[in-house]
This record gives sequence, structure tokens and C-alpha cells, in this order.
Amino acid sequence: MGAKRKPASAPPIIREEVLERIGGEEPFLQELLELYDREFALQSKALEKAVRKSDFKAIQDLGHSLKGSSANLSLPGLMAAAVALETAGKEDDIAGARAALARLKDEYARLKAFTG
Amino acid sequence: MTNRKEDEPRVPASSAAAARARKAQTILVAEDDPVSSRLLEKSLEGWGFRVLKARNGGEAWSALQNLHIRIAVLDWMMPGMDGVEICRRIREIPRTNYAYIILLTSKDSPKDIIAGIQAGADDYMTKPVNLLELQARLQTGRRIIELEDSMIEIQKRLTHLATRDGLTGLWNRAAILKFIQEELEHGARDGYTTSIIMIDVDHFKKINDLHGHQAGDSMLRAVTDIVRKNVRPYDKVGRYGGDELLVVLPNCNLYQVSKIAERIRAAGAARKVRPAGRSISVSLSLGCTSSECFLKPDVDGLILASDAALYEAKRDGRNRVSLSDAVDGGPARPSGKGRGHGR
Repeated sequence: MGAKRKPASAPPIIREEVLERIGGEEPFLQELLELYDREFALQSKALEKAVRKSDFKAIQDLGHSLKGSSANLSLPGLMAAAVALETAGKEDDIAGARAALARLKDEYARLKAFTG
Repeated sequence: MTNRKEDEPRVPASSAAAARARKAQTILVAEDDPVSSRLLEKSLEGWGFRVLKARNGGEAWSALQNLHIRIAVLDWMMPGMDGVEICRRIREIPRTNYAYIILLTSKDSPKDIIAGIQAGADDYMTKPVNLLELQARLQTGRRIIELEDSMIEIQKRLTHLATRDGLTGLWNRAAILKFIQEELEHGARDGYTTSIIMIDVDHFKKINDLHGHQAGDSMLRAVTDIVRKNVRPYDKVGRYGGDELLVVLPNCNLYQVSKIAERIRAAGAARKVRPAGRSISVSLSLGCTSSECFLKPDVDGLILASDAALYEAKRDGRNRVSLSDAVDGGPARPSGKGRGHGR
């Protein structure tokens, strides 16, 4: 899937930035990314349910939470999608929420392809 | 009966506060996002903190009930109780020491910052947290906590100085009289009797004259030790005057106090004080009374009655226990027999 990535698009993770933040330890970054994976699996499932039920409060909260962990790991694409979810939840915008959720999944796939 | 918890709070040495500060400080991290939580945990441990993690507001709140937790890093947005609510609550309840709270949030409008600080947060950081900045800010937290600890320390030492007798470490006269008052009031409400024992060292003046004042001091310390070992852990022992000790025994009637007094007398009679190679026998006279002897017990009445009983013990030959009589309105002090004569 990595080969399909558009060469023009920005990398899904800004490695130098996150490594600087966590003290330069590559194994620790791996550990945090695994934590993120686990969290993402739970949150995206919950988001799908929330979008299906138009539960805007849940969409907003889950978006907020993912925004935080994505920012911590310097994942700009995922963070932007999470912000869009939070905003859609806040504005009761179901179409926006659906689009943002799709974008979130794409961005996650892009991250997985990038990090292997 | 050597439990001294109640009667003998040890004043920590002045270096205790510093030692505590050097010991790893436990810090609470309340953060529902596992990535942030782990990141904070690893950094904090690297800086020498012990880390306790909470995943939601409820867990954070229960953790903060532990007074050993003096620094908390709380996420604003958490399931259940949020960080601001925790700040508000922790400042509402009386706490014997201060908890320094840093609030983390992705909200960064001035309005939010003000709301956080007003709720009781000491500091505020936006996410993602810059760890070097956090480390610097935690120094402030540590400084404030150390400052507070040293103030608590000074307060303890002052309280000790104000309520303790320097020679024996026993409660001083003012403190022990206050205990009688408190126990009488408490007993009147809860329906128990309070007794007191006035203890006088026989021939104390002679000991001082014959063996010197240091011998007298040794004698007083030995008697202190004897009394402490023979009362109940929650009885209070004070130095009432020169060679007079006063014991306050809550929830104890005249019969029970007579048994305890006799135990003290016997322990004294079995003991020798040996200052600088000399050997001096311990002999004690004890006067007991109890609130049950009075219609309206008060401090002065109990003191007078125990003093009168003590006088009787002296008059009857010393090295003995004497009890006050039950008299309506309180036993009167024997007229013309001033305290301290011939003791």
C-alpha cells in the first residue's frame, strides 16, 4: 500500500518532531505507536457506532480524544481528521462526521503503510 | 503498656523535611489517553518521580484522597469527573497538606485558562505537552511543597515547645489541665467518667540536696518512664509542678484508677535510680480522684480532690495510694494544710 501513496502528500508521522519530544528513543516510539494502535481500534469502532446513531456528543468526545493522542505522536493527517470529527460533533453535522470518519480511516491506513 | 503513640509524639529532627523532599515524590497522572499517559509516565520516572496513573476522573479523585500525593497532573477532559471539577473539589475539602495541580488541556483560550485557575489549578499547560516545560514547571510545584513542609515542620516544633515539658517531654501544666477539661466535657456527653492521679516523688527535696540537681532530674525522668509504662496508651501524662506528675485517664472510674495508681507505685518501689554511680530508691505518693465523686465535676474540683488525697498519702507514711471521697459538690481541700509541706 505504501507504493500507492501519492509522492506529493506529507508523511503521516513527523518522526524528528516526535522523537525529539520523547527523548529520541526509537523503541519507546514503537511502544507508543502500539498503544496508539490499540486505542485507535477501540475508538474507531466507537466512532462508527456514534456516527451510525448520530450521537454527536460521543463523536465530539471521541474526536477530541483522538486529537490529543495524534498530536502527541505528531500525526498531522490523523489529527486533522480528528479535529474535523470533533467539529462535526460539536455542530451536529452528520455528513461532516461521515466524511471525517472516512478520512480518519484513510489516514490511519496511510500511517500503517508508512510505519510498516 | 508501652504504646506511646498518644502521649509522646516525637518531634522530627530538623533534617526530616529535607529527607522527605529527597525521597521520590509520588505524582498522580490522570489522563484517559493511554499514549499521553505512558509518555508522561516515562518522562516523570526519568526525572525521579514515582508515578501513579488514573484513567478517569473518579480514579483520580480517589487517588487524591491519599495525602502522600502532593503533585497531580490532570487532564481537563476525562470521562466522569473532569480535571476542573477535581480541582474545585480538592480545594473545597480541608486537607492537612497542599496538593499542587497542573491542568493539561487542548483548550487554550484565555477564558478556559481563567476557568481552570479559578477552579483551583496551580498551573496550566496545553497539549501536546512540551516535556521540558513540564519538567521546569514541576520544579515550581516541588518548591512550593517543600516550602509548605518546612512550615508544617516549624508549626509542629512550636506546638511541641508550647505544650511540652522540656525536661521530661511530658505535657506541660497548661496542656494537661486542658486535657482534663476536654475529657470532662467529652465524658459528660458520652457518659463516661474521667479520673486523675496526682503523683509526687517522696523526699524529692532531700534527693536534690543530698545528691545534686542532676540526680533530681534523673529521678524525674525515671518516674516519667515508670508512669508511662504503667498507664494505658491513651492516658495523658503531664508535669504539673516541680516533682508532681498528673495523669488524666478517660473512661476510668475510681476503682480502676486505684488499680493503675497502685501499679505505678509498685513499679516505682521496685526501681532504683543510679545517677553517677549512686543508687537512690524511688518512692511515690499518689492521690486519685474521679469525676464520679462529683455532682458537677470541674477541673479545679478534681485537682483539689487529688491533691487532698495525695496529702493524705503523704501523711499516712508516703509510698502509697490514696483515694478521694465521694462528696456531693466535691471534696473540700483540707484547711490549713498547704501543698508541698514536708514532701
